[in-house]
Amino acid sequence: MTKTHERIGQLGWEPTHHKPVSNYPTRYTFPKKAKDPMKQIMREYLPMQLEKDERMYGGFDAAVRANMATKAERRWLEVLKPFVHTTTYIEGCAGRVMSMLMDTVPNHELLNGYHVQFVDELRHIGMQQSLARWYTKNAPEPEGWAMGAKYYTGSPLTKAGYNMGTHCIVGDPLHCGLTMMAVLETAFTNIAFVALPDVGVRNGDFTLPTTYSSAQSDEARHISNGYATVLTLLQESSNIPLIQQDLASGWWSTHAFIDPFAGTLIEYFSKDRSDQESYLQKWDRWVNDDYYKSFIEQLGKLGLNMDPAPFVAARDRIVNGLIHQTAIFSFAIWPLAYWRFDGLDERDFEWFEARYPGWYDEYGPLWEGFNALKHPSEQALLLQGFLENSPPLCWSCMMSCLGDAEPLHRVVDGRTRFYCSEMCKRNDVDYPGRFTGDRQFFDKYHGWDLADVIRDIGFLHPDGKTLVGQPHIDDDKPLWTLDDIAACGCEIVSPNILTAERLGLPNGSWHDPSTPDGGVATGELGYVASSIGGDGLETGPGVRDLDGKGNGRKNLGGVVL
Amino acid sequence: MSAPTPPVKRFDDGSGRVKKDESRRGFLYFTPQKRRPSLYEELTVDTQPSPQRHLRGGWLISFADGRGTHSLGSTELRVKDWFDWRDPEGLWERPFYQQAAQAAREQDAAVASARSEGLFARIDEQWQAFLRSSLQLPAFYEHGLWRALCGASRPALSDSLTHAIVLEAAMKQRQAQDLVVYAMDLEAEIGECSTEAAKQRFLEEEAWQPVRALVERVYSVHDWAERVLAANLCIEPLVGNFLRREMLLVPASANGDPVTPVIIGNAQREWLWVREWTVEFVRFCLDDEEFGEHNREVLARWTQTWNAEAEAAAKAVAGELDRVPRARPADEALEQLRRERDEVQAALQSKEVAA
Repeated sequence: MTKTHERIGQLGWEPTHHKPVSNYPTRYTFPKKAKDPMKQIMREYLPMQLEKDERMYGGFDAAVRANMATKAERRWLEVLKPFVHTTTYIEGCAGRVMSMLMDTVPNHELLNGYHVQFVDELRHIGMQQSLARWYTKNAPEPEGWAMGAKYYTGSPLTKAGYNMGTHCIVGDPLHCGLTMMAVLETAFTNIAFVALPDVGVRNGDFTLPTTYSSAQSDEARHISNGYATVLTLLQESSNIPLIQQDLASGWWSTHAFIDPFAGTLIEYFSKDRSDQESYLQKWDRWVNDDYYKSFIEQLGKLGLNMDPAPFVAARDRIVNGLIHQTAIFSFAIWPLAYWRFDGLDERDFEWFEARYPGWYDEYGPLWEGFNALKHPSEQALLLQGFLENSPPLCWSCMMSCLGDAEPLHRVVDGRTRFYCSEMCKRNDVDYPGRFTGDRQFFDKYHGWDLADVIRDIGFLHPDGKTLVGQPHIDDDKPLWTLDDIAACGCEIVSPNILTAERLGLPNGSWHDPSTPDGGVATGELGYVASSIGGDGLETGPGVRDLDGKGNGRKNLGGVVL
Repeated sequence: MSAPTPPVKRFDDGSGRVKKDESRRGFLYFTPQKRRPSLYEELTVDTQPSPQRHLRGGWLISFADGRGTHSLGSTELRVKDWFDWRDPEGLWERPFYQQAAQAAREQDAAVASARSEGLFARIDEQWQAFLRSSLQLPAFYEHGLWRALCGASRPALSDSLTHAIVLEAAMKQRQAQDLVVYAMDLEAEIGECSTEAAKQRFLEEEAWQPVRALVERVYSVHDWAERVLAANLCIEPLVGNFLRREMLLVPASANGDPVTPVIIGNAQREWLWVREWTVEFVRFCLDDEEFGEHNREVLARWTQTWNAEAEAAAKAVAGELDRVPRARPADEALEQLRRERDEVQAALQSKEVAA
């Protein structure tokens, strides 16, 4: 195989008739030599993947015959809606960044590995969409699955996941590639594709572990791609500060969503309580030991001096309640979700208290409150008064700025941006113009009645009145409708607007109804003039000069560059 | 977005039982091309969120130069809704692996069978000499197109287009590797088949330089759609089919080579898929109510340019056919290929597109 690989490696050549172009500018310098980490040839690769496919899809068929969808815990099945949608989108990003790298990295040795990864990612999209389809057809509740792709970017809870995945396909292609391969895949697939499916098995779900175990068997090769990319870049000393900056940035943008998201799923949506490990213990095993100590620290021997602070800070946030605070926030805004929530019971309380002493005193009353308001006849919601006291949402990661300290902020163009952490602030400051669009969900709806918000995002059954999200999984209890929500008289407020007012800061809203996408920092919009060339630039009055020749873009509105 | 499809008729099974409502047990967030969504559509469509689809509030992350996550300015082509395009064959990962793994198995089986039956020794000696020197030259062409297509898959403006481009690239890479692997298998039977020597010829020999320049030029183009259509509409019909069919497939059979027809047969079967989805892509662009005429102008310009370049490359390498035993005359081969290319481009119905 090595000999075959060596021969196949001779297919690459350095173009001399025409210079290759990339649509993605990079700050990195590439050395002459690189290593192919995969040594993958198609005649070996294709039958191997087919075999894995056959086993996995065979597992789906077996699971139908065994009626597994009705045997799995309902609490667990519900939360798979946002989970599968999120991972499927990230798989697409993992593929697309390979294309960016192939257009940018000149080292032939790396290109084959990148390409094989893109084909792997198409496989993962197919597998995970098939899994979603399997649940749609077999799980007790198809609502949420049926309109899943529409709902995915509409809920404030999953929109942050879309934001996180997109980090890996926008920007310097090496920044994107490192974030995907050397952070998301190396650090976090063990959490999402190993630890989380283990919880699935404990909850009677065998199709999800079958699917993600098969995907995880490809991840080792993707991790190798990331390692080979880092090793290649390290040969040029000018790359070292860039890697340090981009790897830290990617680490944080990934942690900021994945840890609270996966942690909430694992701890708060498991009905089974046989698992002795808390999320923090899983994190220590899979991320701290297997990633930080085994990978990041070892890069120090190769000249990379990674600041430990972002890694320590991430762990500290988990220790200080990141998962628990995210969980109660997610449950409180259940009407804005497209899955159903099962409140915690006494067994759950005991499990949490045993792992997090003092948990009940701090969070128990909120969970008791959630449970007391499951029935629509209560005409009350945990959300009422909740947002008024909530911290603002982070401009960068779009998650809540949790913790007791006043949130970090910065004033840009006369408006206030809040940040959950120093690293999220750096991710905005160090990469100007990166964050665009109508990012802060509640700004748009500040002052709206909750029923109108739900109507606007459209998370409704075909009857046009029953909510898709529900605060219980009991089919004998009535489902909440828009009328029930309206009867609560719940006014939505933006924590960002309120926090800015409370602190005497300029406007905390980044919503502007007069722009086409509703964002103050509006992104690229609609169609551009047909005179545009393939490089996406246009000429004429009003363009921002981007190449020094008068070519630029004019459809950017007030984007902050 | 397309108009909604008419409702599906349902019939009572006569049992008198109240049927459970199964109408929500499917993906209902897109409009299927036919009455019911295909499996391919369910697994492919809407895996790439966009403000043109369900993403509200615009792109959340943008490039420093202002481009959105996906940029409508990434191609000169304009389409009302890129997400309406479908691969007519509906290829997705599972059938792709089934077909591609089958191709790999067929090649292995053909080599094993030829070896056990002593067929390699019966191959015409001139053809053996040709295999030693030239079998792998087309692999460099395939590899070059692979690289160009890989870069086009990220900016492509819908999930279904990205799928088709990535899978085509994977086929190109396998096709290139198949020839190298066969050359390695042949070495024990007919003597050295050097990849390095073939590479030197591809890089330096005059007749091959226009072919090399052609594929290098494809990935010197920013526009992803131009890359794809240059390859599939202009280059593959003329140059790709010349190299695969005329230089390898047809003479291999006449010279008693039992393996090359298996390898190229699979590549040509894959080309038929590429041709089909490319023709559908062109139709899709031309039929666009709003931008059809604009697209016709762009496509006419592209095909005029790339046809001329492909023609130059094909003519330059055509002389090589004279060295191929039992190949048919190059002029005759090129005539047929031009006719076939014109058929692929028929939807453009423009006299200028023919070189």
